[in-house]
Amino acid sequence: MNRKSVFRDPQLCMDCKACIVACKVKNAWSPHDRLEAVAEPKDLNLLWIYPNGPVIDPKGKVTQSFVGIACMHCEKAPCIEVCPYSAIYKDPEMKITLVDENRCVGCMACLWVCPFGAPSFTENGKLVLCDLCIDRLREGKKTACEATCQARAIVVASPEEIAKRQSKKAVESIARAGAESS
Amino acid sequence: MQSTQVLKSTCVSCHGGCGVLVTTENGVITYLEGDPDSPTKGTMCAKGLASLQNINHTNRLHYPLKRVGKRGEGKWERISWDEALDTISDKARHYIKKYGPNAVSNSQGTGRGYVRYTARLGKSIGTGNANWGSAHICFFPRLQAFFSMFGFPRLYCDYHGWGGEFPKTQISWAKQIEISNADGEMGVWFLDSLKHAENLIVIDPRATAITSRATLWLQIRPGTDAALALGMLNVIINEGLYDKEFVDKWTHGFDKLTERVRDFTPAKAEEITWIPKEKIIEAARIFATQKPGCIQMGEPLDAMHNSHSNGLAIMALLAVTGNVERPGSMVSWLPPESGPLEDFHMEINENVLRENLESGIGHQEYRLMTPGFANAEKVLKQLREGKCPIKMLYQHGGNFLFSNANTKNVYKGLLNLEFIAVADQYMSTLCEMADIVLPVAHWLEDDDIWDFHPRFLIRAINKAVDPPGEARSSAWIYLEIGKRIAPEYWPWKTVEEMLDYQLRKAKIKWKDFKEMGMLARMGEDQPYYKYKTDIWRKGGGFPTKTGKVELYSTMLEEMGYDPLPYYEEPSESYYSTPELSKEYPLILNTGGRIPYHFHSQYTNLPWIRELQNYPRVQIHPDTARQHGIKEGDWVWIESPRGRIRQVANLFGGIDPRVVVVQASFCYWEKEGHARFLTSNANVLTDDAGPYDPAVGSVNLRALLCKIYKVKDDDPLYDPIE
Repeated sequence: MNRKSVFRDPQLCMDCKACIVACKVKNAWSPHDRLEAVAEPKDLNLLWIYPNGPVIDPKGKVTQSFVGIACMHCEKAPCIEVCPYSAIYKDPEMKITLVDENRCVGCMACLWVCPFGAPSFTENGKLVLCDLCIDRLREGKKTACEATCQARAIVVASPEEIAKRQSKKAVESIARAGAESS
Repeated sequence: MQSTQVLKSTCVSCHGGCGVLVTTENGVITYLEGDPDSPTKGTMCAKGLASLQNINHTNRLHYPLKRVGKRGEGKWERISWDEALDTISDKARHYIKKYGPNAVSNSQGTGRGYVRYTARLGKSIGTGNANWGSAHICFFPRLQAFFSMFGFPRLYCDYHGWGGEFPKTQISWAKQIEISNADGEMGVWFLDSLKHAENLIVIDPRATAITSRATLWLQIRPGTDAALALGMLNVIINEGLYDKEFVDKWTHGFDKLTERVRDFTPAKAEEITWIPKEKIIEAARIFATQKPGCIQMGEPLDAMHNSHSNGLAIMALLAVTGNVERPGSMVSWLPPESGPLEDFHMEINENVLRENLESGIGHQEYRLMTPGFANAEKVLKQLREGKCPIKMLYQHGGNFLFSNANTKNVYKGLLNLEFIAVADQYMSTLCEMADIVLPVAHWLEDDDIWDFHPRFLIRAINKAVDPPGEARSSAWIYLEIGKRIAPEYWPWKTVEEMLDYQLRKAKIKWKDFKEMGMLARMGEDQPYYKYKTDIWRKGGGFPTKTGKVELYSTMLEEMGYDPLPYYEEPSESYYSTPELSKEYPLILNTGGRIPYHFHSQYTNLPWIRELQNYPRVQIHPDTARQHGIKEGDWVWIESPRGRIRQVANLFGGIDPRVVVVQASFCYWEKEGHARFLTSNANVLTDDAGPYDPAVGSVNLRALLCKIYKVKDDDPLYDPIE
């Protein structure tokens, strides 16, 4: 099994939104469109970033984070379970959640159950989700968002690798706290 | 049959520099991403990635245009390139003949890889009034401060570890290199180097994203940076934490600097900067003892009326701690085999007569500013008064209506220029004031050589697709204008020949370079400790008069300026203008920068506009409550110069007395003056001085304002009277 999951580090994210535009280049670029800016633009976002904070403690220490929200590719995905038309399914190899747009009728039941509010819908009402750039992963490339992120805040890897990375950070911070108190 | 190609190029969506891969299928761009094998490691920002949307944009300029209505009326007629270029060069020759070369000015906006063409054009004309954009409020004060202290104008943070060490302590001073640097390529280097840093000190009025990762955040009162640096110097010198060996052997004037900072106690610095003195002391101790260290200095330091001194004070921190030229500190990189590309204009310096430089506008007052750069505020004032020696302007990119102080005064000044030609990709608000408008290619449509601030590499910008209509590359336009006005300095038949000429020292041709993609001096090829070699001076030393780092600058002394760093209270503040602060009780900071805008660019691209519809003013929640302002309300921000509207963003990461206004928001979709008067922060800034005595910069960053809610029947903006 080659399961892929995504980790967006809210502490490293700089809120620069390069990942969102990289996602557009990958998923929404039509070379022949004629473009002009409009005052109230509407478009499809598979990914959005939400700021948290800043909270400033009396010593002036700042806590601030930026949470990226997109499809989390849940193992036991409620959207798959609820979809009456079986339009949402798992890639058998990487366990990425994918959408069969021919089956989707746009009933939005998936939106009711998604704990992250990740589902987006096209003008025709069809569900679109982050597919974790599955075609790029199959070619051995990074996802568009991970590749472009200067802050290295996005990691697409196996859950074990992500857990290891988080453990390493925890160990470092505990070691640092220990050094400061001694 | 489909033909798919992947081309390596260089993004120039800001000053530029990130390596990119452009995929084309049958001549159409289908994908754009960072090049993982380039020094920027595959990363790109939102601006660069959204470049795709420039290609088919409805509003791109396709043909040269000539004005047929009144100035600014928006009536145009398509003309041929020959007619456009001949008109520009005929005008230039006419004014040169009638008034001399100083009547002709050619200027540009940000440094987009054509700086050397702009400079060569000005020098080939022989004008002492060449560039009068924003250099004096952006980067040149830092350059000139480096020059007056170290004898060379550039020192950069060593994020690379080529000498075996990374910075242990990093200071980010009035800078957001991670998201909004003009040289975007440095963002990833900075962020990656933080892995190796033990201390990150962030000096910023706002709790920006990076402050969460900081060891220490110094929340400074806008405009008081020199006071903080002088306070830190006081601590470092008094506590004997300075690098005695470096100071003794390699600096000049340490005793005079010691004398200057003697009274600048941390308590005094606290009073001025509003930073608790304990934090000032801690920052000074960390920087002086946890070495190596570097300081990333930002543009707000330049946009003040003591800009060169801001530079000197901070640079003195580097010098007394010995954080110069050692691995992991601040280093002046050597260029690759091509040599510095600015030789392309430096080599004809002598064509500008001394007398023309001497009579350049502002040159007599602001001697530290590079000769040949006219002072924008002076030029515009003279234009408004109808007595400016400059009669014509050729402007390549940029927009004074967004970049310079007091937009309404800028507008009135520009109206009085006899002839204006502007080259741009879109009909900017500056183009609308022009007599001739030239359509320019985007970097995806352009072949050129790109060089960048740290100077250790040059890269190829490779054309991926044809420009729209008859739009042409910047290099081509400069060559064609140059050939017509001063053919002896523009002898090349084609752009390719001109590019070959610029690469000649590396003994390569453009067609080779295009394939190579990059020429760099990195790793072991970059020497450190150059002052211990013959590179700057035979027998070692710095390229200054004394051969040392001049904490007391002999150059400034000879020019008649204060040779030491000093602090000056912002021209508008609770302390300098207490009466005014009763009517305008809040500090106006115009430093709000958005990672996906570059000045007034990109708010016309749908992917970018989706990220933010309207500009936002950051107000502390307590202050907002006092004014009855809620998140998302439209708010007037008013200074003695005028008012603009932005959307309120309640933000706890600033002092309740400070509001941070977003700069340069352009409503490309609106008609007429609404585009640049509705929300543009420079409507609020003051062009009336005081000016920095040595470089002529003006206060754009620390003024006074009041805020109140926009009412339903308020006008969209206040017109120019």
